Formats: sequence, structure tokens, C-alpha cells
Amino acid sequence: MAAVTSRRIQPPAPLRILTAVPLCDGHDSAITTINLELARHGLEVIYLGYHQSASAIVRAAIQEDTDAIGLSSYNGGHLVFFKEVVDQLRRSGNSDIDVFGGGGGTITLADARQMRRLGTARIFFAGTPLDTIVSEIKRDFARVTKPNARFRGDRALARAITLAESGRATRHSSLVTPRKNAARSLVVGIAGPGGAGKSTLIDELALRFLRANSTGRIAILANDPSHPGTGGAILGDRVSAIYAQDDRAFFRSLATRGSLTGLSAAAPAAIDILKRSGAFDLILVESVGVGQESDPFGSFGHRTPLVDAVLFVLAPHYGGRVQLQKIALLSGADFVALNKCDHPMAHTARAEIQACLDQNGQGQRLHATTAAQHSDPGVNQLYDAIQSLAKGGTP
Amino acid sequence: MSSLGKIADSVDAYNRHVAAEVARARTDAAFAAELRVRWAALRASVDWTTSPTGTPLPRLALPDTDEPGAIAAYLLGQGLPGEFPYANAAYREMYLDRETAAAPATAAVNEEPMRLFAGLGLAEDTNARFRYLSRHQKSLRLSTAFDGPTLYGLDSDHEGVLGKIGEGGVAIDTVEDMTRLFAGFDLTRPDASVSMTMNAPAPVILAMFVASAKRRFGPACVPQLRGTIQADMLKEVQAQNEVIFPVDASLRFLCDMIEWCVPHMPRWYPVSISGYHIAEAGATPVQQAAFTLSNGFTYAELLRARGADVNQFGPRLSFFFDCGLDVEYLVLGRVCRRLWAIGMRDVFGAGPKAQILKLHTQTSGRSLVAAEFQNNLTRTAVELLLAYLNATNSCHSNSADEPFTTPTERYALLASHAQSIILEESGLFKHTMNLLGGAPGLLALERAVEQGILDVFREMDTLGGVLAAMEQRYQRSKIQEAGHAYERQINAGTRPIIGLNKYVSAEAHPNVPLARTPPAKQRLQVERLRAFKRKHAKKAPDALQRLENVTRTGGNVFAELVNTVEVCSLGQITASLTNVVGKFRPMV
Repeated sequence: MAAVTSRRIQPPAPLRILTAVPLCDGHDSAITTINLELARHGLEVIYLGYHQSASAIVRAAIQEDTDAIGLSSYNGGHLVFFKEVVDQLRRSGNSDIDVFGGGGGTITLADARQMRRLGTARIFFAGTPLDTIVSEIKRDFARVTKPNARFRGDRALARAITLAESGRATRHSSLVTPRKNAARSLVVGIAGPGGAGKSTLIDELALRFLRANSTGRIAILANDPSHPGTGGAILGDRVSAIYAQDDRAFFRSLATRGSLTGLSAAAPAAIDILKRSGAFDLILVESVGVGQESDPFGSFGHRTPLVDAVLFVLAPHYGGRVQLQKIALLSGADFVALNKCDHPMAHTARAEIQACLDQNGQGQRLHATTAAQHSDPGVNQLYDAIQSLAKGGTP
Repeated sequence: MSSLGKIADSVDAYNRHVAAEVARARTDAAFAAELRVRWAALRASVDWTTSPTGTPLPRLALPDTDEPGAIAAYLLGQGLPGEFPYANAAYREMYLDRETAAAPATAAVNEEPMRLFAGLGLAEDTNARFRYLSRHQKSLRLSTAFDGPTLYGLDSDHEGVLGKIGEGGVAIDTVEDMTRLFAGFDLTRPDASVSMTMNAPAPVILAMFVASAKRRFGPACVPQLRGTIQADMLKEVQAQNEVIFPVDASLRFLCDMIEWCVPHMPRWYPVSISGYHIAEAGATPVQQAAFTLSNGFTYAELLRARGADVNQFGPRLSFFFDCGLDVEYLVLGRVCRRLWAIGMRDVFGAGPKAQILKLHTQTSGRSLVAAEFQNNLTRTAVELLLAYLNATNSCHSNSADEPFTTPTERYALLASHAQSIILEESGLFKHTMNLLGGAPGLLALERAVEQGILDVFREMDTLGGVLAAMEQRYQRSKIQEAGHAYERQINAGTRPIIGLNKYVSAEAHPNVPLARTPPAKQRLQVERLRAFKRKHAKKAPDALQRLENVTRTGGNVFAELVNTVEVCSLGQITASLTNVVGKFRPMV
């Protein structure tokens, strides 16, 4: 079987494009249409959101190892802004990432000429049909993903993960040089049903990590589903990650590409790459929204767990006590968080989940959180509990 | 049930009431007689005028009927202009020519609706544009567009914003910029009115406006200041994306400002509940109306929950709609006035002044295209006509060059003249109120649009109301979905856009003059800001500390901001407020 697998030709990995709207610009109508069209044609779109600085865009493109960056600018200042993005890519040794964009009529022909001279690969003018935009992006920005020894820092990590995604992880793991005297990373898997507020909770945990540690880094692996039909995906977790947009946070979005385990098939390799880099004190791995039987991190059975601890997050709308008892991870998780505790149903939910955890008899503690609330004390407690685990404590 | 469900039910109940009264008029002889007497008196009260070509015309057109059922249907179903439920107009005479009026007009109603939005470069550049635009205006109308950094509460020296300074609007960092912006204009004139398209930092910007006016005209001027600040945070979260603070904090800052303005600035509209950006982001006309009205009712609920009196704050709420070329726009203002009046009266217990939806309209920016852009003049003219047929209280017309640039002088002037041509040159709106109200096509559209809006109300009600729906990103999804449908219609050619996907000619990239801010000016703004910060370096920290304390302890943030802006910049204040309340987490 192994021989057959190794000879099998890998299907080409989907093109990965980072899209964003520049700083001080909230016009996201065009870009959301483009995002949908690109995903519909099988591309993976990592959407960063509107009002994004050049440095945030470049950081994200590096960490996501994207083939290109697409910028949609409708508020003027595009000459300066596009140049800043291109220059930052060059200065950081990542000029292989192309920059393209559009701005309806606000980007004139003369502007586009000047932008091209200054390094922007392509401007799409007002009235360009969507199909043309998609096919030209596919034609012009597809690259062969190869190991590149010149890559440094986050880009080297990111490329190693990209290679893992295309099924070539083990051969190129040497790309990432382990840091000397590296601290051991604590890896926490975070699972829960869709809409429980996992992404917000993760970002709030990242904020607390960054505030509590003046040095040290955190990594976040955000798994999101690929569309089963088109193979494309809109990976939008970065949009709401407002605090994890920091040079001390490494954020990588992984599309599941057909894997139905709740994680990308490359997630184990990606975790391994991040751990071996020795750069991260804390690694948070977010699964896709999971169901009752899901076990994305191998908490049950004979597999070696992928992570050191599992945090299970749910919101008060789980559908009543009977449903609770069917959720496997509620007994497998090390931490359980009931999020959205500002909801009127939270009081009952809290009692029901507590009863369930008591029945488990594993000493699991229930954390009542409202991640959407600034400085939520419940999130503080959860963060402290995770930290005490890093120091060798118990959940 | 959230109040949206109650409002939808109250509209149904009102419609049943109208139907019952119509039936009674036809069966109850005493009621029929009463209606006939009222109708005769009404007809007798109508003044007459003469067109320039000598045709005699009534200043108010009434349905040509004596049938009691039809009279009841008109009076209760639509209402006379200026009477409940206000379908025809908020006021009796609107744009009618005063010179030919029998009775002398009062100053308050004798103002032109034109209100041209302007903002570019630094404060003095916008000031010059204001002077240019106001040359021919009877009353003083200054409507301000701000640049990106100001809209996001950032200072001009913030990292990465240099290229954005003065682009798409004016750069305002400090109270001194605000003084430069309106220099030479007497803001205390009874017919002066200033509007500011400003949202998340609206409390800071309005505080700068107040502080600057006090410096120029003395502390007693505050109650005289008249105008509107947009400050509609719900539509920002749903569509326009200029949000800085978390939703709860944003709404609290807004309500603090409204509560301060109601007693202190009785002529000021502290919020302009806006559908414009909802429509520009993709919403259909029905969605625009439904989301905007529901946002308005939500503000009413929030203020009421804080103990404010609906009859105090209600008259200070104003609205702002987009007007495009889709047929629903023929009646959108009419339907919205009616629904607002019924909801405010029957669910919120509002008196007449708080029932009236006062409407600003802007022609659709999205409908303007780069291809053969001079066609945009025609598009805007048609949209203006629709806006006036809806009896909008004020109106902005877009410039034809807007697909490319902040309007240049030439196209801004053409846009302004388009309004004058419709209102002053043409006789359409000069002589007779109720030109088309009650026409079969309008009634059919009104019914369909009203039903569409109530359906959206009921759907949002099942989601728990506006705020709960927003958390589930219901409005955003619906707006985005409609936006995609619009783009796909254009792509497929099923939505004809002349010059773009139909009757296309060769002209690919027109050479249009651009209004852009030169880098030297952008650097000048940064220097001015730094000088201000140096000047106030000693006082600023204490002022910011006081602001943070008020924010933390639940005091009225706006009342404190009026002091803070004396020594602090917009960016310093934004950072300080963020310290206390955190940042907004965007939704996809």
C-alpha cells in the first residue's frame, strides 16, 4: 500500500489567496463578492477583513504562505498603500508573493501604470467580468510550492505547513531549524459546535497570553471546512482575530480539503512543525464545528493524543439535557467552557452541564465565559487554568 | 416578542382599522355625512395658484371623489400631507413656491431641501468648497464628508494612514481643525444647518464642533446650533463597517450624546438613521427600508429603557435613505413615513411631533458607473425626481465623476444644478402638493413594499429582534446575498446598465480630472497635529484620565468629551476610550 501511495500523483493544491481591504476603508461589498467567486472556483481564500494595515496584511500573507494578496480599495490613497504592501514584502524577503487588486473606477489607468511600475502585479478595472477576474487570478498566480531554503522565520514555518498540506511534510521538515534551549510548547485543542464562539474565545486567550508574557509567542491553527463540491474555502477566522494580529502570534488557517475528522489531514504535521520550531509557548488548535461523536484530537481510544489538553466550548443552545449526555467530548475534554453566558438560557445550561461533569467524576471544571465581553472574568479564569497546566498543574 | 413583532402587528391592526372605517363610511349614514362635511371644508380651504403659462392649479390636490368610503380610505390610509399617517408628506407644503402663496410662509418651512455633501483635503480646502457651493444657496447648508482616518478615530500621525489623509473627505484631528473647517460661516444663523457624516467617533467630533462654536460665538450659542450628525452605529455594524468600539459601548456613547443633545441642543439631530449605506452595501430597497426602520425602533427602545421620554427624543431622530433606480424607490419614503408613524404612535405612545419621519435622501452612488460616466448625470437626475416624489425633506445629489474621484468642482456644480432644475426651473413641484399620491401604480407598489418590510420585521422578531439578529449576522448575510445577486444580474446582463453591459461603446478609460490631496498637504496636517499635541502635552493626560473615569463609572461620556477635546486629539481620545471598553470585533 505504501508504495502505491508514494507513486500516486498529488492533485494540485488549491491556490491560496489572501484578500483584504486597506486601512481606513470599510468598503467590503466588492471583496466579499470576489471571495465567494474565488471559493466557488476551488480557491482557498484567506480573508483578513476591512480596515487592515499594510503590516497586518503582509504578516498574514507570510504566515498563511499565500500565492498572492488581493486588495480591494475604494477609499483613495491606493498609490501609497499598495506600494507599502509591496515594499514590506520585498524588505522581508517575500517578494515572491504577488499583489493584485482593484478599486472600481477609483484606480485610474494612469494610477494602474504607476502601481505596476512600483511592483503591483495586476489591477482589475471597473467592469471586468467576475469570470475574467477568477480565470486570470488562476492563470497568473498559481505557483509550484517547493521548499525554499531562503525563507526565514514565519515564512519558513508557513512553507513547511504548506508542504505538509500538499502531503510532503516529512521530507521537508528540515526547513524549520529548532531553536536552541527551546521551551516545551503546551498544545491545547479547542473543539465545540459551530457558533459556540470558539474563535472569539481563542482570540481572547491570545490577548491574555500576549499581555501576560512580554516575550514568547503563541501559535493558532484554525481549521475550517472546504466546500465538498468545489474544493474551495473561505477561511475567515482572521477577521475576528483582532488581538492575535500581532508579530508574537503565528496564525495559520487550514482548510480541511476533504478530511472529515474535524481537522485538516495536515494538522498533526503542522502541530509537529510548530512544536519542533521551539518558538511557541502555547499552541492553540481550533477544530471545525463538531458534532456529538467527534473526536478531532484523539482523546479516546488507542491513538496518541495530538494535543496536551482539550478545551470543549459550547453555547447555551445545545438543545437540552438529553443532548448533552450524547456529546462524547464533554467527558473527553480537560476543560469545558460554557460560552455566551450573557444569554438568558445560560443559567440553566450551567447547572445542567455541571451536573453532567459531576456525573463524569473526572474532576473537570466548568468555566463560564462571555468571550464577546471585554475583560470577561470567566475568560481570565480559563486562561489561568490553562497556564497552570503549562506549569505542570492539572486542569 | 421583540417590539418588531408588535410593530408589524400594529401596522396590520391599523390597516384593519382603515378597512373597517371605510366599510362604516359606506354603511353608516351619520359617519358618511360627517366625512362629507369635513371633505367639503377641506376642499374649501385649499388655496389656488397659477402656473407661469396661466393654468389655475390647487396648491393641494385631493382625490376627485365624494364617495365617503374613498374619502375615509384617503384620510386614514394615506393622510393629508403633514397628517397621520404621513404617507404623502411630513409637512403640508414642502417645496411649493412661497412667493405665490396666499398666506405668508414661516422661515422654518421656507428652506430649500438641497444639501450638498462635501469634504476633501485639509479643513481649509473643504472650507473653500463650502464657500463655492453655498454661493447660490438661500440658506446656509454645510454637509461634511470626513476622510478615512477621521472616520476610524485615528490621528493623521497614526502608522500607515499618511496616504489616506484628506482622501474622500476632510481630515479633522483637533478642535482647531474644526474651527478652520467652518471659518467665516455664521453657524448661529437661524437658517444655518451643518451636517456631518460621522459615526463611530461622532461623539468626539460633535464635541469638537460644540467646543469650536463656543470659542467662536460664546458659550450661549450652543442651543442655537442646528444640524445633524449621522452617528448610526447599528448600520455601521450591519453594513458600513466603520466601528471602533464593541457594540454595547458604541450604543452607550451614542445614547449619552442623544441624551445630552435633547436638552442642550434643541435644534440638533444627534442621529441620522441611515439606510443609505445598507443599500450601497447591497441591500434591496425593501431590505434597506426594513433594516433602517427597525434600527430606528431599536434606538427608540434603548432610549426608552434609559428612562428618556419618547416625546422629547422622538422629534430629534432623523432618517437618511438611498434612492436608486429600482421601481420600489418610487414609494420607499412614502411607505417608511407611514410605518414609522404607526409604530411610534401605537407601540411607543408617541405624540404627533415624534411620529414624523424626517427624511434626507441621497441619490445612489452604487448606480453610478465608470463606463461612459456622463450617463451618471441622467441616472442622478432620475433618482432626484424619485426622491422629490417621495417628499424628501432634504437631498444630496451625487456627482457624475464619483466612480473615479471625490467630486471635482465642475461635477459638484452640475449635481447641485440638477436639483435646482427640478425644483426651481421645472414646474413639477412648485404649484401642487400630492402630484401623484393615490395613483393606482403607487398604491400597488406601496402595498407590496409595506408587506415586504413587515415580513422582514417578523423574521427578525423570531430571531429575537434587531440586536439578536445582528449577533447572528442576519442583516449582514442578507445584505451581502442581495449584493451578490445584483452583481450577478449585471454579469448575466439581466440587469441592464447602459454603457456597461448594454449599448457599450469603445471609450474604455475616460480621462477625468481627479481631486486628490497632495503629499505636502498630508504632511502639513501631521505637523499641525503634532504642534497641537505639544501645546497641550501637560494638560492632555489629566483630561484623558477624567474621560476614562467617567466612562468607567457610567457617567455621561459626551458631557465630558466637550471638555476633553479642548486639549486632546481624536486619536488620543479613541485610544483612551478603547482602554476602558475594548475594541470592536468585526464580523465576516
